[in-house]
Amino acid sequence: MTAINRQQICEGVHFSSVPDSRFKTGRITAAFLLPLTGETAAANAILPYLLCRSCREYPDFTALNRKLSELYGAALYADVHKVGEVQMLCLSAVGIDDRYALDNQSVSRELTSLLCSVLFDPALENGVFRSEDIKQEKRQLIERIDAEYNDKRSYAKMRCEELMCQEEAFGVSVYGKREQVEQLTAQEIVDAWRRALRCARIELIMLGNSDPKQAKEVFSQAFSRIEREQPAKCSTEVVRSADEVHEYNDSMDVAQAKLVIGFRAGTASPDEDVMATRLMTALYGGTPHSKLFLNVREKMSLCYYCSSQYDRYKGIIMVGSGVEQQNIEKARKEILHQLEEVQNGNFDDNDLESAKMSVANSFRSVADYLGGLEYWYLCQTLEGAMCTPEQSAENITKVTRQQVIDAAKKVTLDTVYTLTGQEEEQA
Amino acid sequence: MNMIEKKSDRLGEHYYLIDHPTGLRIYVYPKQGYHSTYAIFGTKYGSVNTTFQLEGEQQPITVPDGIAHYLEHKLFESEDGDAFTRYAKTGASANAFTSFDTTCYLFSCTEKVEESLEILLDFVQSPYFTPETVQKEQGIIGQEIRMYDDDPNWKVMFNLLGALYHNHPVKIDIAGTVESIAEIKAETLYTCYNSFYNLHNMALCVAGNIEPEQVVRLADRILKPSKEQKVDTLFPEEPDTVVKQRVEQRFPIAVPMFQLGFKEHAGTKRATAQQLALTDIVLEALASKSSPLYRELMDAQLINASSFGYEYFEGPGYASIIFSGESRDPDKAAQLIRDAAVRLRKEGIDQPTFERARRAVYGRNLSALNNAETIGNAIISLSFADRELFEYVDCIAQATLEQVNKRLSQQLDGDKSALSVVLPIDKQ
Repeated sequence: MTAINRQQICEGVHFSSVPDSRFKTGRITAAFLLPLTGETAAANAILPYLLCRSCREYPDFTALNRKLSELYGAALYADVHKVGEVQMLCLSAVGIDDRYALDNQSVSRELTSLLCSVLFDPALENGVFRSEDIKQEKRQLIERIDAEYNDKRSYAKMRCEELMCQEEAFGVSVYGKREQVEQLTAQEIVDAWRRALRCARIELIMLGNSDPKQAKEVFSQAFSRIEREQPAKCSTEVVRSADEVHEYNDSMDVAQAKLVIGFRAGTASPDEDVMATRLMTALYGGTPHSKLFLNVREKMSLCYYCSSQYDRYKGIIMVGSGVEQQNIEKARKEILHQLEEVQNGNFDDNDLESAKMSVANSFRSVADYLGGLEYWYLCQTLEGAMCTPEQSAENITKVTRQQVIDAAKKVTLDTVYTLTGQEEEQA
Repeated sequence: MNMIEKKSDRLGEHYYLIDHPTGLRIYVYPKQGYHSTYAIFGTKYGSVNTTFQLEGEQQPITVPDGIAHYLEHKLFESEDGDAFTRYAKTGASANAFTSFDTTCYLFSCTEKVEESLEILLDFVQSPYFTPETVQKEQGIIGQEIRMYDDDPNWKVMFNLLGALYHNHPVKIDIAGTVESIAEIKAETLYTCYNSFYNLHNMALCVAGNIEPEQVVRLADRILKPSKEQKVDTLFPEEPDTVVKQRVEQRFPIAVPMFQLGFKEHAGTKRATAQQLALTDIVLEALASKSSPLYRELMDAQLINASSFGYEYFEGPGYASIIFSGESRDPDKAAQLIRDAAVRLRKEGIDQPTFERARRAVYGRNLSALNNAETIGNAIISLSFADRELFEYVDCIAQATLEQVNKRLSQQLDGDKSALSVVLPIDKQ
């Protein structure tokens, strides 16, 4: 039911459809996959936001949004993701399925053509994006970068990743640097747009009840006017192990200290043992019955949250926790100790079974969310193999105890990051 | 047993409402072809229920701030182990939350749904509090509170509520304070539990991959019949005016944040489904991306798309419209919103704007029915306010311009508004 049909429509451009009549809405997304680099990140990142603002057909922002409101609150969404060392720019059109229109309007047809308009036919002036549009989107992208600082839990995790991978492309912010955004010129942005259309790897994906034939046709025609080149190679450098431990601290005016520990997992997609590492991470700190939750939180009462996450594309595992400053050492020791416990096989079959069920559950659940399913398949295209969520759930149940132990043994400590309060005002 | 099928031809949806003999209201909302099942078991009891009077008792009881949330944490522990350990055997992803007026326990699963449902119904009905277990939670919740202390979104909201409300307990932090939770004892938890966790005061909704017979069979077996316990929460008299028009705090953030609230007279009755629907259309007309106000704020560089939003914040004894977002100049943003509200109230919403807003609100609510979790949460919160889901959507589809303009004239009174801002710490 959640299977995907993927076809190439031209060099490096694929159109996929996931027909599904369960949902009230449909969505169609154009994803541009580009190598993440310090030089190009900012110009690429501003693109989806800028394109969603207007187009030649609706050059005025308010007029475009009025059109979307009339289409029963349809929306154009812009998003930028970091998947390993790939920068994925997404533009999506989402709207209700034609069956539920109060009159007999075809929402999906109009949304497909609107998405094409914003992608291929933006409102340009003298061959570049208009200065007012650029000004607005630069400001908002900068505010987006600034706002990362607001949520200290996610900020600490981001900082740790950035510091740990500062010598790798992964250390580049998905939005680029603040100063780079500020300095972007109209010419650089329009060049980035043309380059993305010409040589990004492009995944078009349509989910829902509407007939994909028409959409595929519309996109095929649009791309026939683009001179496509061999798409840029999207790959990720995987550092298999850490040879020394790096320590970093930031201080700011916070009530609660944050501790983030970054590990090299030793395994990354498309390795075969990715599933073993995924399962090991769940057992270690991914659920409310994991080692970290039961020990650092429940037994020692040190924190409200302490959990681990595996980034299978980059091959890193991050553990985050919020603790009192004086408890940082205690928490750190216990977090590392619990990893040793997994490495030494100190878990029973029930623990293993629970972790399996929990991970399988989260995979299977993906199929009930349009957005979740779309992101799932977009990431799958990077892995080469197209696995459905159900197949991945199957695969996780096949992982053995020994594979989990082996996966844990490959993990090496790379970076310890702390964010602490200012004990004394500095002069 | 009384089972009614609720149906909406417009939406192509249906669900079942069951009045269980134990007093529990049960909703079962099957979603054809879904893999997962979402269950939510809630009580009409949240952070605002701090002073209450039990039927037959002489004196009202006042309990420490944050106790509903504390109780939520502690209910996971039973005499024979904690609920998470039990869920570990079913693969369900379980959680709970405490809001101003509800406490809910929930899970989502794709296998062993009946086992998971049994765990949910059982542990919520099995309180077990001892001085030791209560003590242990102080550290964990203490760190949860410390985390909120660093959360500018949380602070900007409670600062606003403090500026809007003189006496109503909605202004008190849901989690309480490190000091207030230190007063919580096992026996106070039992008092609250026995007062509010009565099946007559609760509701269960199961949505997704599920059939009503499965739920009823389990409910018959596991629910413990209880005598109805009438309890009245006593709310202090709340003036219609605001406490102060502006409140400010400094925080280690880079972009200032604001919340602007327009207080309404709430009285003792909750807003109806129709009032909610009309307000949603009013707000869409006033401040959505297609509105002149949004354009004006954007052009003046006073908001950004990723943070600007608005909501109707309504519960027992309180109602406000709240606008929020990041802004380089929150005072100026608030001024433009206030001015636009005055203008719209004076001129009224015109027909094309109304029609666009009605369609947009309808479409968004329809989209929400994609998601079993959203459905479950909506049904529980509507149920506690005596509203019904399809009635609410019908009210949107059938709304008229006259009704919307009338509703507008009763809302968004700038004289009863307050602004809360969180500003970056000045660099010396």
